[in-house]
Amino acid sequence: MGLRAPRLAALALLLLLPLVAGAAPKKLVLLFTGDNGGEVAPCG
Amino acid sequence: MPVLALDAGNALFKTLADGQDATAKPRAELLLEQLDAQGYAAMAVGQRDLVLGVDFLKKKTKGAKLKLVSANLVDAKGQPLFPASVVTTVGGLKVGILGVSPASAEGTAILPEGVRGLPVGPAVTAEVKRLRQKEQVSLVVVLAAVPYVEAVKLAQGAEGVDFVVQSHDGRGVGMAQRQGVSTLVPPGERGRQVAKLELSVEGDGPFADLSEANRARESQRMVEANIARVRERLKAEKNEDTRRSLQETLASFEARRDALARTAAAQGPETGRTYQLTYLQLGADVASDAAVQKQVERVEPPGSAGH
Repeated sequence: MGLRAPRLAALALLLLLPLVAGAAPKKLVLLFTGDNGGEVAPCG
Repeated sequence: MPVLALDAGNALFKTLADGQDATAKPRAELLLEQLDAQGYAAMAVGQRDLVLGVDFLKKKTKGAKLKLVSANLVDAKGQPLFPASVVTTVGGLKVGILGVSPASAEGTAILPEGVRGLPVGPAVTAEVKRLRQKEQVSLVVVLAAVPYVEAVKLAQGAEGVDFVVQSHDGRGVGMAQRQGVSTLVPPGERGRQVAKLELSVEGDGPFADLSEANRARESQRMVEANIARVRERLKAEKNEDTRRSLQETLASFEARRDALARTAAAQGPETGRTYQLTYLQLGADVASDAAVQKQVERVEPPGSAGH
């Protein structure tokens, strides 16, 4: 088996999940993607 | 915890020849729609995003919350083609997000006719100055859709930039690297990962890498275990030569332990501005959103060449 599958749908679920509240002020999470190269689906 | 999602560019097309591929356009359209729907605030315009031209990008993002940013792409008359940056407030923190694209003068940039990439450094410097002085942002992130070497130069010299996130070469995952004045972050590639940068921002000054402190604490624990073993051996050892050797080893371990303790303390959670980089792997074990999965299968049916 080669590289792990790119998962646009999985990313959607991850980002659209309700965010957990309760963090202290001025704490944040930056999520980065890059070099996606047109991938939308598992390709093994 | 508040979340800000950003794309460093080169998201839409695999190669510069994708314009000839009939399936490439619907994939790019779906990606732009989904980046917007999933709440991305900004994406840098990379060389591989321009395969179908500037008008395609503008048309497909008209009215979207997702902003395409580039501080240095201009038209034939020298007019900017995209906003240089966006400013957003997340978790009470004002963040400036700046995009940068390959420079025509570097010789490696392949841009559509009528599109020029101005030199990266001056374009970034001018926009960062504006963000810091006029917009009064507390954090500046550069989405750098430029070759790695160019991104390193940028991170080393761009005063006022906190993080440079690089895309262009498909380098995949890695460690965040301090490069002079800012930190270079690899974002992953080909939809396989999401880079997660957890920030704690209180006060001013450079960001400290909590991962380094955590690694130092882990090493410290291992060295302390070694120290305990050497002490046990010393208690039992009668031979003077061996004892001397063990004492030297002990002194060396103790010095190492103290150095690690200093590293851990200097970059611990008490520091005002810290970050920790991890990657979320989007493998088969991560559930898919059913509605998005259907849209994906419409443009790339299971069993098609893209799978």
